[in-house]
Amino acid sequence: MTSNLPKYIGNSFKRGCIQLVRRPMYFLLIVIMPLLCCWFLMDLIKDGSVQRVPVGLVDLDNSSLSRRVSRNLNGFQQVNINRRYSNFAEARDAVQRGEVYGFFFIPDNLEEQALAGRQPVVSYYVNYAFYAPGSMQYKGFKTISLLVNGGIVQTALRTVGLSNNGIESALVPYQTHVHMISNPFTNYNFYLNSTFVPCFLSLFILLMTAFSLGMELKSGLSRQWLRTSGDSMFLALVGKLVPQTVLFTAVGWFIQWMMYRCFDFPLNCNPWNMLIAMFLLVVANQSFAVLIYCFVPNFRYGTMLCTLLGMVSFSFSGFSLPQESMYSWVAALGYVMPIKYYFLIMVDQSLNGIDLYYSRFYYAALIGFTILPMLLSWHLKKECLNPVYVP
Amino acid sequence: MTEKVKHSRLFLWFVQVLRVCGRELLLVFRDEGVVIFFLLLNAVYPVLYALIYNPEVVRNERVVVVDDNRTALSRDMVRRLDATQEIAIAGYAANMQEAQEAMHRKECYGILYVPRDFGQSAGRGEQAHVSLYCDMSVMMRYKAMFTALSNVTQAMGNEKMAAVVEPVMNMSGSIVENRQVPVGNPAMGIASAVLLFILPLVLQQSMILGIAMLHGGSIERRRRNGGRDPMAVEASPGATIVGKMMCHQIIYVLPVIYVLHYVPLMFGFPQYGNLLHIICLAVPFVIAVSFMGQTLSAVVNERESVFLLFVFSSVVFVFLTGVSWPRYLMSRFWWLVGDCVPGTWMVNGYVLMQSNGATLYQVQHQYWMLWLQVPVMFILAYLVERYVNRRRYRSWIAASEDNPKVLTRIDLAKNGVG
Repeated sequence: MTSNLPKYIGNSFKRGCIQLVRRPMYFLLIVIMPLLCCWFLMDLIKDGSVQRVPVGLVDLDNSSLSRRVSRNLNGFQQVNINRRYSNFAEARDAVQRGEVYGFFFIPDNLEEQALAGRQPVVSYYVNYAFYAPGSMQYKGFKTISLLVNGGIVQTALRTVGLSNNGIESALVPYQTHVHMISNPFTNYNFYLNSTFVPCFLSLFILLMTAFSLGMELKSGLSRQWLRTSGDSMFLALVGKLVPQTVLFTAVGWFIQWMMYRCFDFPLNCNPWNMLIAMFLLVVANQSFAVLIYCFVPNFRYGTMLCTLLGMVSFSFSGFSLPQESMYSWVAALGYVMPIKYYFLIMVDQSLNGIDLYYSRFYYAALIGFTILPMLLSWHLKKECLNPVYVP
Repeated sequence: MTEKVKHSRLFLWFVQVLRVCGRELLLVFRDEGVVIFFLLLNAVYPVLYALIYNPEVVRNERVVVVDDNRTALSRDMVRRLDATQEIAIAGYAANMQEAQEAMHRKECYGILYVPRDFGQSAGRGEQAHVSLYCDMSVMMRYKAMFTALSNVTQAMGNEKMAAVVEPVMNMSGSIVENRQVPVGNPAMGIASAVLLFILPLVLQQSMILGIAMLHGGSIERRRRNGGRDPMAVEASPGATIVGKMMCHQIIYVLPVIYVLHYVPLMFGFPQYGNLLHIICLAVPFVIAVSFMGQTLSAVVNERESVFLLFVFSSVVFVFLTGVSWPRYLMSRFWWLVGDCVPGTWMVNGYVLMQSNGATLYQVQHQYWMLWLQVPVMFILAYLVERYVNRRRYRSWIAASEDNPKVLTRIDLAKNGVG
């Protein structure tokens, strides 16, 4: 065995590379598709923030005050009044048809009632079925309705001789400053794609690894696969997966280069921290798929499990709903997947740029994923010696 | 029935359609993998997603306070913040360094800084400033903290403003009140917003996966049997496609009703849509997706490659519907790509129906677009079946007549043997 080791290593790698080259689908799914998907997500959201939400206006008052309100409203970056409706029913119909995402409602006699001190109510109807445009509209509508109020008060206070400073502090006594650490423009592209794109890549890695392992079992060639590497499961896996690791890592680094250099995502740490994290993510995902095959050495169920977890990890890793708000078992499930640790590393390192010390466990966890299947590979080996294919 | 009808071409064609449909039904229920896609996936996946997002909103986000002011006013503000739904005060830190340390250890996700002159400024009638530092890793956290703080400072501000304004204008409170009316998703939660987008797509993807897997199975049988599929029914390309579509339509009656009607019911998501209208919208959707699946499955060469080839497309299709990035902001190109997918129209129609109570009449644009996709997808499927699939089978049959082993050998070579 020992004397033949170099031969076995060579054969094993040769076999892995031949498989990779002979099937165009491998190249397609390791290189082309991840890059295409990455480009898709980044190009889709390249504008960065949701703006100019199409909204409607119902103005029953038609006074100089209400016209001023609608003019001001249109001056806001958040909303774009592109429709005017003559009554409430029309506006509701437009929301139901999906023409506008919401509307601002100015009631009858607004100016008159305001000046008489009868506290009229302006209302804004926001369609939260569309989440991002809904939140943005709320910001715009809220600000403008405060300004309506402020405008009237300001005139009144000026007539009694208050200075500008005095008026300002009377209108907004408590000024809040919200500091959005490392993403000051709430850029949606930075936020979403620094997690979704690596998660996409992980999905491809999981599927690819599961598929290429499963093909050995399905075609009944797993015994021959083991023989090429001198009956060593470890060597067989290495020979098969390392060529894929190289390609996936290259793709991952290219994606990182695109994110941090072309699209200027925040990178507040030593670039190596992220490059290493990407490499570890690739290896951890491959190992995770192997691990699943160790437990479920069956093509269909193994692949299905990888698919299911890979798809659901977009949701339970806590990219959109934060983990502390989830049910605890869902949040715990997130920690099963390697992408969760990459996400945490990304937040600590490239986004917040804090000490490597705080991310030590995450790196360790990614390395742990790599070691785990080695301990269980005997089970996979047993299955490889007696492959059973269930269609 | 007269002899003339029995021998008319239309009748014979229809018999072919029914035979294909019957055989397809048999194949579906004999194949565990396909049953998993068609039925189990639809049963489990929506529930899983619903459970993940079910908490809807962010509650009690931990915030650490650095209070350099230490007055009754600053304490009052912190107490009010603690009482909001969104924020829970995790504790006080002596200075910013200590608070940052807590943030790095993930003990909190926000820092509220009250500067030294906060109470004094407020007392002197000047503007008082307060700062919030937010962790930006998850937008919902930021949004929750931001909303809570602005609501609290505004409420405090209104009280103070009333005190200043009252003597001048002889009234308390605001002059013009404002009120937000959330429509469509009164909880303003993420589950109600996201899930309704995902549900129709689960139907679409499970169907495409199942159809492609059936096709992969057929290809494998052909490869083993010299290019012929012993399970296939002799029929013209058109009859084959329509027959399979009928089979899918029959199978999907239950999943459509369960996923589109009962899942929102189970979790209390918005359900203002009329079931009958939703089913009407789903009919052209299922037909179009069936044709689309039959078109796409031409790229499948074995059963399991469907996982590789189609699973990831779900994420792309989800984004194209406009769930997180609204469609009106998409570039012309991606907008058009989205238009080509039946799921986009179905999702947008379905969301308007379920969330906003739109009738079929109000989403007629989406409805007609779905019907428009039916003939387009049919033509695509027909072209693929006639000029790609059948041509391929013929060449296989020809090749294996010369050498019976040739098809299996190609298979082995791809696995790195020989």
